[in-house]
Amino acid sequence: MAQIKLQNVQKFFGAVQVLRDINLEIEDGEFVVMLGQSGCGKTTTLRAIAGLETVSSGTITIDGREVQDLKAADRDIAFVFQSFSLYPHMTVYENIAFPLRAVRIPQSDRDKEVKEVAKVLGIERLLSKRPSALSGGDMQRVAIGRALVRRPKALLMDEPIGALDAKLREQMRAEIKRLHIARNSTSVYVTHDQVEAMSLADRIVVMHDGVLQQVDSPEQVYLHPANLFVAQFVGSPVMNITDVSVEGAGTDALLRIGKSEGFRVPSAVVSHLNGAPAKLGIRPEAIILSHESGEGFVETETTNVEPLGSHDIVDIRIGDETLRARCESGFARGEGERMWVSLDHHRAHFFDAGNGQSLRKEV
Amino acid sequence: MAEVKTKSEVVMNRVAIVAVFVALIIMLTPIYWIASTAFKPRSLATTVPPTVMFEPTLTPFAKLFVRRSQMREPVEQEVYEAAPWWEKLIYDDGENVVRNRRSGDITPSGYADRYKNSLIISIISTFLAVSMGTLTAYGFSRFKVKGEQDWLFFILSTRMLPPVVVAIPMFLMYRTVGLHDTHLGLIILYTAFNLSFAVWIMKGFIDEIPKEYEEAALVDGYTRLQAFWKIVLPEALTGIAATAVFCFIIAWNEYAFALMMTNRNAQTAPPYIPSQVGSGLPDWSVIAAGAFLFLLPVAIFTFLLRNHLLRGMSFGAIRK
Repeated sequence: MAQIKLQNVQKFFGAVQVLRDINLEIEDGEFVVMLGQSGCGKTTTLRAIAGLETVSSGTITIDGREVQDLKAADRDIAFVFQSFSLYPHMTVYENIAFPLRAVRIPQSDRDKEVKEVAKVLGIERLLSKRPSALSGGDMQRVAIGRALVRRPKALLMDEPIGALDAKLREQMRAEIKRLHIARNSTSVYVTHDQVEAMSLADRIVVMHDGVLQQVDSPEQVYLHPANLFVAQFVGSPVMNITDVSVEGAGTDALLRIGKSEGFRVPSAVVSHLNGAPAKLGIRPEAIILSHESGEGFVETETTNVEPLGSHDIVDIRIGDETLRARCESGFARGEGERMWVSLDHHRAHFFDAGNGQSLRKEV
Repeated sequence: MAEVKTKSEVVMNRVAIVAVFVALIIMLTPIYWIASTAFKPRSLATTVPPTVMFEPTLTPFAKLFVRRSQMREPVEQEVYEAAPWWEKLIYDDGENVVRNRRSGDITPSGYADRYKNSLIISIISTFLAVSMGTLTAYGFSRFKVKGEQDWLFFILSTRMLPPVVVAIPMFLMYRTVGLHDTHLGLIILYTAFNLSFAVWIMKGFIDEIPKEYEEAALVDGYTRLQAFWKIVLPEALTGIAATAVFCFIIAWNEYAFALMMTNRNAQTAPPYIPSQVGSGLPDWSVIAAGAFLFLLPVAIFTFLLRNHLLRGMSFGAIRK
């Protein structure tokens, strides 16, 4: 298993720059998930590590060896494609044995390795079948088997479960995690699904427009998003983002959204903003709803209720803005209901109105 | 699963079935005509109206392979008795076989040699056109080629004018460089004919093969050439079979250039068969027999490859 390091990696497709100065270190045995929208450069980064894509400049090292000019075959990594890419003219056994045949491992060892991987993945009974006879989940297991059989230095996965249905995705997610723990393989995993990213990753790499936005543990990415993009990309429902003005001095400050009454918060929460224009980010679960008035609560009205079973998402109006709040199911009876709302200021985020960077208070 | 059909769809369906039958009859009648004439005695070959019921005979085939002459006087009884069955058929039909003056052996007609030439030239040129076409198509399909569209158009444009237009310059060039009446000459010619076709057809098929297959092989430690050999070729087999059938048919049936560029050594069957019309009285049964045998390789080749021709391209191992 190996350490992967990207330094100042740039990639142009013609005049379009798709990777901008990527610097990333992936530790031995680490599970790193690259998260971003389609076209953000995450797959290109992965393919560059694999050697399926050249880089325009910068270096990629695997275990201290510069590989950016090596062929994919010489990098000793494995790749799992979203499309699985099982060879249709070969059986499952032959598919899994295929990488071993490239390195001319003796027949008997090959057989042993294939059977062992098949056992780990629970696909022994499928070995004689053709890929066309398999279900989506089994195809993916075979694809992972083919990647693992050679014991590569690193396992790269490009949306490996993106083509499966929701239930199977959940199951495969757990399996991938189990495999990672069992084999302790350095893994880089690309997805646009934040749930996958949060549940699998040791560290998440959020990408946007070819730039790394934040590289951090799932908790940190969720609790302390580095900028507006990360704040809105991670978390469901999406974090509420609104313009806010900060008024007042003394012990309390007033956070005013639009022309609303304003929320009273301790001035220590906002002192580092220095009155500059800022955006407030607040996750739906940090908005507290109440049927009664109280200290620090502002009167509002519900505009929409989405019952989701385990909880409800309630839209409320503050000033001209609609904020989405998460509350227990059945809490709001319907739209147009009078409510009182307060913000959990411990969980409020502030962002620079200009560049969107987080204005996090230095601790 | 039966889908719902409206009345008009049902009617259209019936009409389509009838149309298919009509088309089949139109296309198969000439083949039936050739096949039936090939087994008719000479006297029944040109009757009006055509004879449908007759006792089939192999006489035309026997005559096809042997040089014959008019029978001036009847064959001696001893010779007739000693002759094999096919030779007797010729005597029975009132013709004599031409024998070598010294050895007394029966001289064969040119048909077998011409047939062999056809096979050699068609098979080799098909193999060359399909293999070069597949490699070219792979290059165009997988790599960024500068001016790709222009190149492809240029390749196709070689087929845009009727080949006969260039027949005379080709003839002169071939004579100058000594390719006239050689197998190599026709092989080069047919390969050049078919190459553009093969490139275009194969490009379509290779474009259909997902790039990820090769990428998976590349990551798994194979070279590009190995990936092509182990992954792309097996996947492209259907396309290769289809292309080969078409190239073979074109080379096998080619008449105009074969007529012009060859006269003896490398002559193929198409110019030879009609040339028999002119030698003596046309014996339509023999010509039909020659044409009938000539149809067989294409029919057999197509039959052998029918599974590849019919099988769908992708059989569901990739998710799109």
